[in-house]
Amino acid sequence: MAQLPMWTSEGPALVKTMEVESESVSNAAMQAPRWSPYDFNGGTTIAIAGEDFCVVAGDTRLSTGYSILSRNVSKLLKLSDQTVLASAGCLADITQLHQRLQAHMQFYRQRHGGIMGTTSMAQLLSNTLYGRRFFPCYAFNVLGGLDAEGKGAVYSYDAIGSFERVPYSASGSGQSLMIPLLDNLVQFKTRTDPKPVLAATDVVSLVKDAFITAGERDIYTGDQIEIAVITSEGVAVEVFALKAD
Amino acid sequence: AEFAMSIMEYSGGAVLAMTGRNCVAIASDTRLGSQAQTQSTDFEKCFRITDKLYVGLAGLATDVLTLSAQLDFKHRMYRLRENRDMTPKTFSAMLSNALYAKRFGPYFCEPVVAGLNADGSPFVTCMDLIGAPVDTDDFCVSGTCTENMYALCESLYRPDMEPDDLFETISQCLLSAVDRDALSGWGGVVHVITAEGVTTRRLKGR
Repeated sequence: MAQLPMWTSEGPALVKTMEVESESVSNAAMQAPRWSPYDFNGGTTIAIAGEDFCVVAGDTRLSTGYSILSRNVSKLLKLSDQTVLASAGCLADITQLHQRLQAHMQFYRQRHGGIMGTTSMAQLLSNTLYGRRFFPCYAFNVLGGLDAEGKGAVYSYDAIGSFERVPYSASGSGQSLMIPLLDNLVQFKTRTDPKPVLAATDVVSLVKDAFITAGERDIYTGDQIEIAVITSEGVAVEVFALKAD
Repeated sequence: AEFAMSIMEYSGGAVLAMTGRNCVAIASDTRLGSQAQTQSTDFEKCFRITDKLYVGLAGLATDVLTLSAQLDFKHRMYRLRENRDMTPKTFSAMLSNALYAKRFGPYFCEPVVAGLNADGSPFVTCMDLIGAPVDTDDFCVSGTCTENMYALCESLYRPDMEPDDLFETISQCLLSAVDRDALSGWGGVVHVITAEGVTTRRLKGR
């Protein structure tokens, strides 16, 4: 217990300090900066399922900290003519994940003589992510495509593979900006007027609006977006410019 | 279960103000909680200063109550001395000063001021917990789900809305935003302020 000389209004005084005893880790070690294997490279991804189509989109900005590394890096991976994966998070982990999934697609095609369907790919992605349960893949995924019946399917994931089929999903830095907006405009959740059935062109306009909004308020979202529309005819990709600030 | 949380997120809540054509609307949710436990479902966070000036306070509930009482008191004293109501601009300056006076032991409250100027034009401003003001001409948000509210306001807002339209828009923004926030919701209240008076409506939430 050390004694520190201090000044009070009544004159000098010696103040006793207390040593904080910790069994496990000392306070200094807890506060010292540690190297982290993860980096957050920003960006937002979104997927919306329609009657017989699916729209998957992601911005193309790559950031680290407050800097922009690139304005033109794609977050979308075309797995087949029916399935597109969009991932945001740490680019290193995303790249590795994408390459593994593509390799799996090839194995499947060679062993089973056919393309892996969206529902199977959804399960595979979950298993792949859980395989790294104790050193997770810093990738926040949305998988979009057509299911076996030709209907739009969207699956949303967390970093360790928990997944669910949903009507729409968003992930990445602009996630909390996008999802409430989609609740209102796609699901019509808080509205009492009848919900319209959206066509692919309507959904694409909605996606552009959503990204313009996210680009306004999220520093990691911007530059341009890639929009993939998946229909029975295949995957059509459109590029749309956003603000570069 | 206990979990560590920022003091600004202890009580939960959301406040939103939006301008229209010669009108302004301010809305808040009605939840009050102690972290995950909801304590009340009719805790309004918008307070009337005059029929043309409302202040919404999001943050720690005890500071919401204390600050609103303090602001009401200060405005009443001003009215006694000056024999007139405060303008929104003056009220904001006073509020900013009251918050900065507690710079090193602040009120854990981020207010939103909404009112009509003498010429009928709308006024909104918001502040951080130590009084840094931001004057905007469209909307201001505060609370635990600001990101959600920002996105909805950016998308749904149009300038110069009539009072009925403004009410619909602000209600949709508030309800959709709080539906994705565990700490806000349990209904809402919206005040639409026009030259004719104030219309207050309650929203049914989920």
